[in-house]
Amino acid sequence: MRVLLLVALLAQLTATAGTAQTYSPSTPLPRTTSVPALRSFAIAREVEERFKLGIDAESRGDWKAAVPEFDRIVALNPGEPKGSTAQYDLAIAYANLQRNDDAARALHAAIALDSGFLAAMANLIAVDLARGDLREARKIADRYVALDPDSARALYSRGIVALQSGDATTAREDFGKLLHANPSYAVAHYDLALAEERLGRFEAAERELLSALALAPAYARARFALGVVLLREGEHAAARNAFARATLDASGDPALKNIAAAMRDSIKAP
Amino acid sequence: MIERVSRTLVRRVLAAALLTGALFCGRFALAGAASLQEMLDGALAPSAAPALLGPITSAGRVGWECKPERAAASARAHDAELPADPSTP
Repeated sequence: MRVLLLVALLAQLTATAGTAQTYSPSTPLPRTTSVPALRSFAIAREVEERFKLGIDAESRGDWKAAVPEFDRIVALNPGEPKGSTAQYDLAIAYANLQRNDDAARALHAAIALDSGFLAAMANLIAVDLARGDLREARKIADRYVALDPDSARALYSRGIVALQSGDATTAREDFGKLLHANPSYAVAHYDLALAEERLGRFEAAERELLSALALAPAYARARFALGVVLLREGEHAAARNAFARATLDASGDPALKNIAAAMRDSIKAP
Repeated sequence: MIERVSRTLVRRVLAAALLTGALFCGRFALAGAASLQEMLDGALAPSAAPALLGPITSAGRVGWECKPERAAASARAHDAELPADPSTP
């Protein structure tokens, strides 16, 4: 009986040892009475707590609640990387509140604190494009590509900025390089085709659009662009077919559907 | 005399009207061609800018191993959070 009791007790002890776990407090308990040290502990704790509150607010889409949390962290001026991270998170909240100028300012501050902060550069380009500042977007995109020449996002972002600002040569290089590493990315084939079309290289544009459509057959915008390129090449019947197909595929894009239908109807059937 | 003056006047007015008409037609034709060109150029719009990369926690950036930073540096389009291909389910 005693042996059985001992075995049961030992088994209980083993099970308890397996499940029990000690947790260290997220912020170490202060073991000082020094006022500056206590103040520094309090600030570190506040920064951590406000990060949690701000991230929680952003994850539920409550951008207004996120702003004061990150604003306060910025005002507390924590060390790196927390300072630049707070500016980055603050910019996300501002951008979602359509306060793009404030978002751009926060992202510039993040990059000033950490010159290699690629995610901040990526978001700054998106914000600059949203506020129509192509010059600033191009400056940041050049820096982003210089820091990480193989980054898919850097190449894509600069390619889009270049296309929007009329620099088809840079767009052609960037989308070409992006496709070299990602040949099955249909969107990049489409954008490379636009660059080729703007450079008057219609055969190359047609080739890229056919590649895009082979990868994504219902890609209405690529089908429409193919119609335009075929029209420029004088292939009216093929262009009409492309516009007709684009009209069908663009059901989710009424503007594209209308223009494709107008183009189809403007070309006489053979 | 009056008849000759009026004939000359009618001819001049007619010529001026024809010239004006021709100029207007040419102008409208040019405007039509230009608007078609603009319409086509406008429809050939570049793809959308990528969406914003997500927030970063204070702990998430330790060693730069956070998701947004990895997406920003990835050479693979799939991991870079770029616009998805239209036919992708």
